[in-house]
Amino acid sequence: MVETLRSLMSRQKWVAIAMATIVLAGVLSVVSPVFLTFSNFQAILVQSSVTAIMAIGMTFIILTAGIDISVGAILFVTSALFAQLYMDTESYLLAFTATLTCATLLGALNGLLVVKFKISPLITTLATYSIYRGAAIHLTGAQNIPVPREMGFLGNGRIWGIPVPILILLVILIIGVYVLSRTRMGVYTRAIGNSERSAKETNLPVNKVLILVYGFSGLVTGIAALILIARVGGLQSGIGIGIEFTVIAAVILGGTKLTGGSGTVVGSVIGAVFLVLIDNGLNLMNASPYIYDIVRGSVLLAAVAIDRYSAVRQKASLEAQRAERLGLDTPVSRAGGGISDAPEVAAK
Amino acid sequence: MQSVAKFLKSYPALQIIAVLLVGFSLLSPYFLTSGNFEAMLGANAVVLIAAIGMTVVFLAGGIDLSISTVISASAVIAGIVMAETDNVALGAVTAVIVGLGFGALNGVLIGYFRLTPFITTMATQLIARGIAFVLSQGIAVKGTPFWMLDFGFMAWMGIPAVTLVALALVALSVLLMSQTTWGRHVMLVGSNAEAARHAGINTRFIDFSVYLFAGALAGAAGFISIANLGNAIPGVGDTLLLIIIGAVVLGGTGMNGGEGSVERTLLGVGILAILTNGLNLVGIPFYDQLIIQGVLIFLGTWLAMRLGSSRSAT
Repeated sequence: MVETLRSLMSRQKWVAIAMATIVLAGVLSVVSPVFLTFSNFQAILVQSSVTAIMAIGMTFIILTAGIDISVGAILFVTSALFAQLYMDTESYLLAFTATLTCATLLGALNGLLVVKFKISPLITTLATYSIYRGAAIHLTGAQNIPVPREMGFLGNGRIWGIPVPILILLVILIIGVYVLSRTRMGVYTRAIGNSERSAKETNLPVNKVLILVYGFSGLVTGIAALILIARVGGLQSGIGIGIEFTVIAAVILGGTKLTGGSGTVVGSVIGAVFLVLIDNGLNLMNASPYIYDIVRGSVLLAAVAIDRYSAVRQKASLEAQRAERLGLDTPVSRAGGGISDAPEVAAK
Repeated sequence: MQSVAKFLKSYPALQIIAVLLVGFSLLSPYFLTSGNFEAMLGANAVVLIAAIGMTVVFLAGGIDLSISTVISASAVIAGIVMAETDNVALGAVTAVIVGLGFGALNGVLIGYFRLTPFITTMATQLIARGIAFVLSQGIAVKGTPFWMLDFGFMAWMGIPAVTLVALALVALSVLLMSQTTWGRHVMLVGSNAEAARHAGINTRFIDFSVYLFAGALAGAAGFISIANLGNAIPGVGDTLLLIIIGAVVLGGTGMNGGEGSVERTLLGVGILAILTNGLNLVGIPFYDQLIIQGVLIFLGTWLAMRLGSSRSAT
């Protein structure tokens, strides 16, 4: 049982974060009687929907060994654009299409810049972060703009009894899983992350895939912006500040490698839920809001340390297995006795 | 004349600075005054000190996202110590020790446990920020010694004392990087860690030491921020990360390691300092400044990179 679980964990990285989430949920349900209710469960999912949706887009980018620091700014820009456009035109159709198109284009612009100028994604998106955020405040004149009541449906409404943000999250998750595991696009995404050079040498459409991946992240960030603005009731100047780090943390907690090539969108979504659970737990304990950052940081550190430790162990056990198959001793003794063994082999 | 042109060409940051200086002198009568320059120099001492540390980490091929909030944490802790003891020297030592502590944590995790720099320092960034806010309860630390406040206003020949401290640290770091074995090893590890390891360099120690160095400088920057602002502010570092990284890459130090120098970062800080100051004088609102900063960081990096590749091609 333990062995199967361990092998499952090493093959499917997201199983580890899923188990950590279940354990944490178990602890919280012992601490607080209200925790283990269906409505609290839904509330947690709704709360994590914005970061979870953004984390799905970010997973694709990180799988290509890229990163997008500007997602918080895209979230803010598209919230601002929607609020401003709706206030000016009172047309949902126009506001929705313009917002989502703009979000996709801003994401794709990141991809285009990364591809064309060959500057590292980190610096490129750090620059666009500043540009997008500045543009958004320019657009709205640093005002808070309320959105109409009906918008609340996107944030708090229900279809067949299920909260709308959860439904949207599920749809995007299914699309993400499908694209990543069943389409050529998914294969290319991982291939670029494993080695961009090999991908280029085998004539994969690297540039096209990268622009699409950044564009997709922009699109889902735009969708997340609509949910967020619906939930908070209007545009606020603080929207999106620092959220890029929460999103990246969710992706990393979910088992995706920052160096690219390996990871899952399911893991990232569970990672986002896990982060909300931590907040929820701290909230139940009446912790000072300032402690949240310390706990989040420590959890992230623990996660990467555990991941690193298991990778080292896995590598060692793989080498031992291979050595056994080849009829050799452990790699250490092989290295030590290599020279004296040589004549015997030759004699046989 | 030709050598001047050549010199300018190898430092694209100098060209940008020249254009900005001339442009803003024409646009605002207040720009080219000694009072304005003193204010500009003083306001950028913290960024300059922190950017030195980031440069050295970049040169070794790493990144340290925690520098910004380690500035806050060391400022807050030093502020509390000074409020309790009224001892400025003890405050300075405390700030640097706090910085060293975070630097050592980053360094051990990245250098010896081989964790990814980006994630590790993202986590310590959160931890440092949390500590700064928990210890200060989210408000400015009161009770800064009077000498510290005076220190913030001291100047010598129109150069603020805080800037002199920053420049001294720049000079020290330039010497460290160019004249010591450690400096050469940092550059080697940054250009090719594998080759450096085969050459017998203790790459783990080098990785460890650059984060320690960056941490110490972040601590010093935190201390200087108290002199500048009059109090230790828990959120002082929050907005600095973009400016610090921007200044380093604008100067021409790349993120891939081995390419760039501390003196280039001095120019990068200069560009952003002049730009912010000039745009403020001309009356450009802060959000348009964000746009201009972003474009400049991007173009500046691109220019420096093109120059780097053309140099290695010839």
